[in-house]
Amino acid sequence: MFRHTPLRYAALVVLTSAALFQAFTAQYFGLEILTEILILAILVLALDIVAGFGGMVSLCHGALMGVGAYGYAVLSTKAGLTPPVAMAAAVGITASISWIIGAICSRSNGIYFIMATLAFGQMAYSYVFEAPIFGGDDGLGGIERLDLSFIGVDLNDTRTFALFCLVALVAMYGLAVMVLRSGLGRSFSGVMHNEQRMRALGLTVWRVKADVFGISGLIAGVAGVLAAQHIMYISPGLMAWTVSGEALVVVIFGGLGTLVGPLVGAAVFVVLKHELSSLTTYWHLIVGVILIGVVMSRTNGIFGFIEDYFAARNKAVEANPKATEVTKDA
Amino acid sequence: MTTDLGFWTLQALNALQLSMLLFLLSVGLTVIFGLMHFVNLAHGALYALGAYAAASVATMWGYWAAFLLAPVAVAGVGVLLYSGFIQRMRKSGPMAQVLVTFGLIFVLLDVTRIVWGDLPLAIEVPAILGGRLAFLGVEYPTYRLFIIVLGLVVLAGLAFVLGRTQIGAMIRAGVDNDEMAACLGINVERLFFCVFCVGCALAGLAGAVAAPLLSVTPDMGLQILIPTLIVIVIGGLGSLKGAVAGSLIYGFVQTFGAVLAPQLSSVLIYALLAAVLVIKPVGLFPAKG
Repeated sequence: MFRHTPLRYAALVVLTSAALFQAFTAQYFGLEILTEILILAILVLALDIVAGFGGMVSLCHGALMGVGAYGYAVLSTKAGLTPPVAMAAAVGITASISWIIGAICSRSNGIYFIMATLAFGQMAYSYVFEAPIFGGDDGLGGIERLDLSFIGVDLNDTRTFALFCLVALVAMYGLAVMVLRSGLGRSFSGVMHNEQRMRALGLTVWRVKADVFGISGLIAGVAGVLAAQHIMYISPGLMAWTVSGEALVVVIFGGLGTLVGPLVGAAVFVVLKHELSSLTTYWHLIVGVILIGVVMSRTNGIFGFIEDYFAARNKAVEANPKATEVTKDA
Repeated sequence: MTTDLGFWTLQALNALQLSMLLFLLSVGLTVIFGLMHFVNLAHGALYALGAYAAASVATMWGYWAAFLLAPVAVAGVGVLLYSGFIQRMRKSGPMAQVLVTFGLIFVLLDVTRIVWGDLPLAIEVPAILGGRLAFLGVEYPTYRLFIIVLGLVVLAGLAFVLGRTQIGAMIRAGVDNDEMAACLGINVERLFFCVFCVGCALAGLAGAVAAPLLSVTPDMGLQILIPTLIVIVIGGLGSLKGAVAGSLIYGFVQTFGAVLAPQLSSVLIYALLAAVLVIKPVGLFPAKG
């Protein structure tokens, strides 16, 4: 089950204050980067719930985000719904589609699960790529942001929108923690550790998997809606499988199954990407090398590494309490 | 148009040609998975590397040299990959393998861009295969027929080696139960290594063969990767029969889908894959029952 250790609280405080500091002090470009980080953070949060706590390594989360983005774009520009209704509907649609994918794929494990989710993601991608209603290859433009002027908030302002994304991220993080701590979340982790036993205990395994996958899809849908509102233009590239692959990379960079780690990963990844791409066009090469290094080092990403470090130090302190007494005296 | 027999022959040949190209790629990937339980997403990048190597060699010594040298070069890269990464990643879970090979895709993609640049390269079809042949009442490019024949020859060769020779029996034993095979005195590690190299060489061959048909671009490996994965998942991981069946299914569904139902064609194959995974989660002809 997911627990908040002091270290995790500390990391959350640091991340939130850094985001707030950036949101209030940065100029236009810095705010754009911050918003990009926040939206990516919501997406990888969704992925970490299923991959880190249930072993469902999904390669369709990019496409789910795309479903949210396209859902919002089509409902608000073509179907004429008002932005709040379109947002809710898009998120709902994404969650339902995600639930169905989770239910269908719940029988597969390991590499077959990865392939099955990849197939569904690609299915969505190629459909959107061809269908005229979604603008096909050209994408869709003219997407409006949510209008909050009745409470005096103008989301067309870059700074306000970044803060809005931060609020969304905090809300989604809260939702994720709540789900993982609930009975459903505990059953979900149980299924990852021993599916046979959970089944023997009378659990409907596919239902648990599908439910959590649906919630994860809901969060990915929120990321999609925000992404559509952020750029105000969407293209099928948003749904390509490499986006899902990158989301997985971010989760691994940060630390799988820590929930806080992927947020760190998202910040590091986006900053690294911008810094490297301003230095060289071959930034993929460097990201690839780092990725291989992280995976082969067998640490659990950046945050996992920090956690292991502190855990090892605490253990050393417990094993040798005299050492601390000495340091305390000194 | 659709009642014309020649039209159907032509489409069937197109489908067969696509199938054979995919077969060359997927058979290496599937046997590597079946034997080593290793997921190599970088297989597509090796194919792109094969195409680039072929393009470079072809400008110097002509097509046939490229045809022979590209697989050798890619097998060489395979040796490096094996000793550098794959040997160490053998025992880790599928996710770690997917991620390391995903990283390798990034690296190899940019390496090809650095070495060969971003512009597409082209190779000439060799003169002897340049024209068209009258075949079953249709005119068909000789080079595409050559790909079909080549695929069939490789298929026959692999079927013979796997089914009729001692080394094939050893490979089958390794796929079935590698620990037992090791107990019986088979050097499974060395076997893995050889199979991996052959798989890489076939990917390089596929690249060299595909180069004159398509233009050689850095992202050609990414484009072919998804079809290849679909083939091996539909067919069932680890079996020659599965690779053949998967390639044919993909080739025919894709080609005829594009002709008969253009709006649906791109979704069709993914829907088929999803259906296979729902009904038979391990594919049609998995190596292990």
